[in-house]
Amino acid sequence: MPMEEHYNNDDTFLGRWIAGTLSEEERIAFEKTTAFKQFRIINAEAQNIKGPVINTEAALKKVHQETIRRRKPKRTRLWYASAAIILIIIGLTVVLNARQTYTTGIGEKQTITLADGSIINLNASSRISHKRFFWEANKQIVIWGEAYFKVVKGEGFTVKTSKGDVSVLGTEFNIKDRENLEVKCYEGRIKFMSFDEQRKTYTLTKGMQIGFIDHLADVQGFEENEPSWKRNISKFINQPLSQVLKELTYYYPITINDEAIDTTRMFTGSFIHDNLQNALQTTLVPMGVKYRKAKDSNTIILSN
Amino acid sequence: MNEKEPSICEEHNYNQLFREFYEPATKYVYYKCGSLQQAEDIVQNVFIKLWKLCATVSFSKAKSYIYTACNNLFLNEVKHQKVVLKHLETISEKIDYESPDFLVEVSEFREKLKVAINNLSDKERDVFLLSRVEKKTYSDIAEITGLTVKAIERRMSKALRELRDALGKDIKI
Repeated sequence: MPMEEHYNNDDTFLGRWIAGTLSEEERIAFEKTTAFKQFRIINAEAQNIKGPVINTEAALKKVHQETIRRRKPKRTRLWYASAAIILIIIGLTVVLNARQTYTTGIGEKQTITLADGSIINLNASSRISHKRFFWEANKQIVIWGEAYFKVVKGEGFTVKTSKGDVSVLGTEFNIKDRENLEVKCYEGRIKFMSFDEQRKTYTLTKGMQIGFIDHLADVQGFEENEPSWKRNISKFINQPLSQVLKELTYYYPITINDEAIDTTRMFTGSFIHDNLQNALQTTLVPMGVKYRKAKDSNTIILSN
Repeated sequence: MNEKEPSICEEHNYNQLFREFYEPATKYVYYKCGSLQQAEDIVQNVFIKLWKLCATVSFSKAKSYIYTACNNLFLNEVKHQKVVLKHLETISEKIDYESPDFLVEVSEFREKLKVAINNLSDKERDVFLLSRVEKKTYSDIAEITGLTVKAIERRMSKALRELRDALGKDIKI
């Protein structure tokens, strides 16, 4: 085959010539042809061509706006993710532990209806609180002071007192958790579980009450259909006078100076919540105690 | 994946790849599509994708990823059109050709060469320019284009024959 034809018939020939991989024989024969001289010039001129000028740094800057700046490196993102999770946990904790609190001042009374329809009558100078969210999943109420509960039927209603838990299944009862704890059952059945080491449990039915003086429990019966405080009367049966005087301060904004008298004497009787003069008379006169109001304050000074 | 390999998610490793491959990849796409703007867009998009996939592409595979992605994006995005490479300049140095007969105006010949290169078919043009302008070896070109060396030899041969057909009459021997 004449060399002239070789580059036409062998479809890799010129490609191999460019790469310098022709055989010695092929190359020498090819270089003798006229076509070779033309190919040589085309090849040489082609190699003198320069490609476009590319500004890599400008492009990198542009790409960074879409990448590095938009999506922080993983480690930073992990930081953000952890921070977000911590914030969510804190937020959830705050929400789950958020409490709704109701407080009454001296002489105030309040009626509260809970999410499950139970009703609480909160007596004066008292406070109850419960979880603000998801309360119905765990119906716990914490009490300080005195309140009357009318609980609708349902599982798991518990009142936390200073000395133990009162748990109920739809009933009516009164809790007085002031100096001493006193729980009275007016309807149905309640269970009291004390916080002390014995974790002793007492069951109270209608007309039964449990009282604690220090740590001694005392279960006994009582006769009334609802706590007298709901009718704005405080009743006492054989209670020390100190107890009665303390009770007065829950309903009236007064301070009592009882240094001059013996407050250990027992009192049986009552006082009303909406008339201080009347209340002082009904409690102090039968005990033979004189009282006068100090000039410049709400202090009541007692004397024999 | 070899754990000792540098991670592309690290900014300095990514930048290193960018500085190494942005220019050659852009030129390659430019030789295929004939628009420098379009070529830059395509390659920038490839690099943005590379950043998003930085955790899944290993450093040593990055080169082949970049060129493969360039090819795919080019095929997806570029409608077939007449290619006019405006950004080809000839280094204006005088070459002492053995043949004194090659006396056609050199600058005129060079313009004609560029036109002839533009007129090469798509298959040959990028291979020819990668070889002659970018001075890449056939095995480099094979890696970039995904072709075999044999196929490249064929395309080079065809390109040279077409160029001689177009320009032979201007080279008087």
